[in-house]
Amino acid sequence: MSKRAKIFTGLGVYIAGLVLLVAVAGSGGKNEEYQPQNEFKLDVWVDLPGPFDINKAVLYVVIAAVITVWAMVYIARRMQDKPNRVQTLVESVFNLMRDNITRNNMDASMAAKWFPFIATLFLFIWISNLIGYIPFPTNTEHPISVFGLEIPSLAIYAATANLSVPLVLSIVVFIAFTYEGVRAKGPLGYLKGLVPKGVTGGMAVFIFFLELFSNLLRLISLSVRLFANILAGHLIILFMAGGIAVLLGIAAIGWLTLPLGVILFVFEVGLVATLQAFIFATLASIYFGGAVAHDH
Amino acid sequence: MLDAVVIAAAKEEGGGSFLVQPDLGLMVWTLLVFAISGYLLKKYAFPQIAEALDKRQRVIEDSLETAAKTRTEAETLLEEYRERLAAAREQAEAILARSRKAAETSEKETLAEAKERREELLAQTKREIEAETRRAIQDIRNEVADLTILATEKITRKTLTEADQRKLVEETLAELDFSSLAGEGSKN
Repeated sequence: MSKRAKIFTGLGVYIAGLVLLVAVAGSGGKNEEYQPQNEFKLDVWVDLPGPFDINKAVLYVVIAAVITVWAMVYIARRMQDKPNRVQTLVESVFNLMRDNITRNNMDASMAAKWFPFIATLFLFIWISNLIGYIPFPTNTEHPISVFGLEIPSLAIYAATANLSVPLVLSIVVFIAFTYEGVRAKGPLGYLKGLVPKGVTGGMAVFIFFLELFSNLLRLISLSVRLFANILAGHLIILFMAGGIAVLLGIAAIGWLTLPLGVILFVFEVGLVATLQAFIFATLASIYFGGAVAHDH
Repeated sequence: MLDAVVIAAAKEEGGGSFLVQPDLGLMVWTLLVFAISGYLLKKYAFPQIAEALDKRQRVIEDSLETAAKTRTEAETLLEEYRERLAAAREQAEAILARSRKAAETSEKETLAEAKERREELLAQTKREIEAETRRAIQDIRNEVADLTILATEKITRKTLTEADQRKLVEETLAELDFSSLAGEGSKN
């Protein structure tokens, strides 16, 4: 079969399936009950005192951390002169973190001091993002009953799709780079350093507050960029993989959107997960470099 | 400021407000897990990986350096050998030329020597022949003298003194020409 014939056959099957589903399933009417956002709701799993309940997000954070630490330590203990594929991958990631993300954005002594922090940030966010695309039985809102046993349905979720996780990491980054800036220039010097050289008078006051505000806004931009990207990715995969069909009650739409769901899934796993981790770590690194730089 | 954003979002989203509501418990958990991961990685992963990478880089640099050094050495050696080879060839040619010359000289010498020797031999032979001839002539002369004396005695029955008679014969013989005889002798 030629390539063209294959393409036309595929399209034919796709359209025929669509027609068939419309004919057989038709429309079940709008589904008012289904709340797609509840895929991201954190049900309390283990009730602990105060706000420290164990829920899905905590589990994902822990899984991400365990995989990160285990994988890195496992490879680190078995470093060979002639690396195999996995070691080569780890080495590439290590070099990316050390040379591109850290050393490119701060001076050597700062890079040596903060590399473990930046690298942990990158790895933790990266693995969090990646495992977010593996379906785990974590959806306790819609359990499946198997012989009377309530099993949570498979769902994709990412700790980074919850604002709290990127936010706390951003807060740590903010505190750390502010500390470094104050250490390098003194409290007053650091505040003065917010205003570019050569700006004086009323303009300087205005710029100072503007810069202070933009500095604080980094907290939001850093955390929301990551959180919103991952949440949006999960939501759109969810919708394309059947969410819209369920909401509208038209099964045929699910058939129509499924290929898009697959494409978006590949896109998210292949690009967004890594890119967002890279951006977060790189921006953190740039903030560190900027905090101690004397020229604004 | 953050609260304002959160509240605004919560108002809009209604049922989805938990999406943007920071959860203190989760934040604390995250911080804790992140700190522990960071500590473990800093202690057990990053230094080992960095060390291995640095070690490999050193090895590569060393290898490159060694390779460059070896190459230079090899080139030097090659140059040296080439020079030596050229020198040896030159030497060989010189030796060849010299020996050829020596051979030629020795040939010439041998030839000259042989020629000389031959000539010497010839000369000696000639001398011996001449001497032999002279002696033969002398012998003949003596014989002839004796015979003449004897013949004269028999004819004259008179005896001169031996000395007179010899003197006489000698004188007579001296007048005789034996040169033709000598000439024939020398030719033989």
